[in-house]
Amino acid sequence: MRLIPFMLALGLPAAVLAQAPLRVDINAGLMQPMPIAVPAFAPGNGGNTEAGTTTALGQRAAQVIAADLKSSGLFRPIDPAAYTSAVGLDEVVKPEFPAWRTIAAQALVTGTITANADGGITLACYAYDVFAGSEIARQGFVTTAAGWRRAAHKCADLVYARLTGESGYFDSRIVYVSETGPRTKRIKRLAIMDQDGAGHRFLTSGQNLVLTPRFAPEQQTITYMSFENNRPRVWLYTLGSGRQEAVGQFAAMTFAPRFSPDGQTLVFSMSVGGNADIYRFTLATRQTTRLTTGAGIDTAPSYSPDGSQIVFESDRGGSQQIYVMNADGSNQHRISFGDGRSASPVWSPRGDYIAFTRIGGGRFGIGVMRPDGGGERLLTNGYQDESPTWSPNGRVILFARSDRAGRSGLWSVDVSGLNERRLATPLDASDPAWSPLLP
Amino acid sequence: MTRQEGISIGAALAAHVALLAGLSLAWQRQMQMLPSPDDAVAVELVTIADAPRVPEPPQPSIAAAPQEAASAPAEAAPAPEPVQADAVPPPEPPRPRPEPRPTAAPLKAPASPLDTSSLASLIDKSLPKAPKQTLDTSKLAKDINAAAPARATIDPRAAATLAQAIRGQVAPCWNPPVGGRDVRRMTVIVSVRYGRDGRVIGLPQAGTPTGTTSANADYARAFAETARRAVLRCQPLKLPAELYELWQAVEINFDPDEMT
Repeated sequence: MRLIPFMLALGLPAAVLAQAPLRVDINAGLMQPMPIAVPAFAPGNGGNTEAGTTTALGQRAAQVIAADLKSSGLFRPIDPAAYTSAVGLDEVVKPEFPAWRTIAAQALVTGTITANADGGITLACYAYDVFAGSEIARQGFVTTAAGWRRAAHKCADLVYARLTGESGYFDSRIVYVSETGPRTKRIKRLAIMDQDGAGHRFLTSGQNLVLTPRFAPEQQTITYMSFENNRPRVWLYTLGSGRQEAVGQFAAMTFAPRFSPDGQTLVFSMSVGGNADIYRFTLATRQTTRLTTGAGIDTAPSYSPDGSQIVFESDRGGSQQIYVMNADGSNQHRISFGDGRSASPVWSPRGDYIAFTRIGGGRFGIGVMRPDGGGERLLTNGYQDESPTWSPNGRVILFARSDRAGRSGLWSVDVSGLNERRLATPLDASDPAWSPLLP
Repeated sequence: MTRQEGISIGAALAAHVALLAGLSLAWQRQMQMLPSPDDAVAVELVTIADAPRVPEPPQPSIAAAPQEAASAPAEAAPAPEPVQADAVPPPEPPRPRPEPRPTAAPLKAPASPLDTSSLASLIDKSLPKAPKQTLDTSKLAKDINAAAPARATIDPRAAATLAQAIRGQVAPCWNPPVGGRDVRRMTVIVSVRYGRDGRVIGLPQAGTPTGTTSANADYARAFAETARRAVLRCQPLKLPAELYELWQAVEINFDPDEMT
């Protein structure tokens, strides 16, 4: 097009100029999940593993991947009935794109599962852009036979990240408080499960009331509040060993613990004479630093992802509202000014939003606001929605929802406010905490 | 200390140790937790080869690192120059804004938290209007011919009408990645060549989206690919054949500013 002035100077006919590209502006599209095909992964060999044959594992892996992608609300896995013929080894790396186009698949995930000589497996994962007819990602995962689900989650994360441009969140876990029994004699146990509800296990026996579990960044440690020996205080629980340890030797009640992003520090509330303040506890030196001093209840501290600031809840102004301070306790300022009260703030791992519980009009809903308090949006409006926690990529919020009858469960919602869905738990559930991505 | 005293002290000590051991065992029992889950099993990342037919696990190898087969939009040919250049030949008034589009109003709905099904039904109802209007290509050509002067220059009204027809046919296939942190700041231009049958020739070239930084390069790539996918999915275009000269090369600017 640089030639145009030159051509004008030569007096070339205008008809030539007419062939410059026509310009079209498109300002809106459709918000709808992307159709994606995830056929059963082909057996790389006829091997058998302690988790099943490679053929069976290939089918189950594809189901796990499709379920992960579907749960995000951004993908619509195509019913396998639409493509009855199995994808063989050759087609794993050379898909018949025209055939996938006819069933309107926009993306395709293929793969293989191979039994290794040491009893483990290799899951090979390939992703394709069907309409461009090109491969867009591939990765192999080697793990134990029992670890096939994790390999499948990692494959789903690879596909999600490549097609959305955001990091994945499927290879992660959730710890929460499992509840059962009548209201007056509620049994509360710590429980842990994979992000999709698989691998559910109880961590504590239910002898003592437990509340507010939170993962350490390295994920092998959970901090929570327990009424062990009728003394409410903050504990640490180590996964694997099952070791439990009280944090500090405080005479007063400690509660609402959370780790710093580097895992070196805990922040929690300590209540002395009805006045709760926020303290920082350095794990290596066991040193305690008081961060807030005002009258009233300061609680629910949560670090910004860079560790420089802490968001918390305080009733110092007369009702529960959300405040932000520097990590050393300086520059405390209120950021929530919406209707009603605001509580249980959590800073998003990607830093752009703070999720919180909005209380007003006899209802509890989950909302988000920017760290400066602007851009507030309510995402849910249940009878009692509370205790938000972020997916590792800051895209999805998991929360506890209770109904009038006192039944409670875990639900998730996309940060856009769409895709509200229930996460099944064996018993009633509250106080969820989402782990970072597993290594 | 007599020998007997020594013995009794020893016995007392032993008794204390036994008592302590018993107590701590009891304490441990009281503290006993349920069997804790094992640490999550390790998953090792390996590169994989073209031929998955391997009896043994593929050897982890850096040399065989997966190569991106798809041509990344970032590497695509540089985006064509700004469209203002098109307006050079005859003096041309500022490009007219397209007529109000039937798709615009319903698409604003997503601002409030809606359930997706109702949202989809809203959009589904609204969108078919645009393509349907454009299907009558003979009428379109008549309109454009009426608007176009005898000479073969692009009349702005003709170009606008054609652009509207293309927009109506391609927009329903665009599925921009909503909810991403940077989506509202990004736009991307896709250069497309169409054959006389309305089919895309070759692979459309997506430029580098505006607002691309090193921090959001993955997102920018995914964003550009949604635009290219829209062009590839919604073809062949139904446009007046007699005006092919005008639409054989098209630059489509994808800008999600009316989404979210």
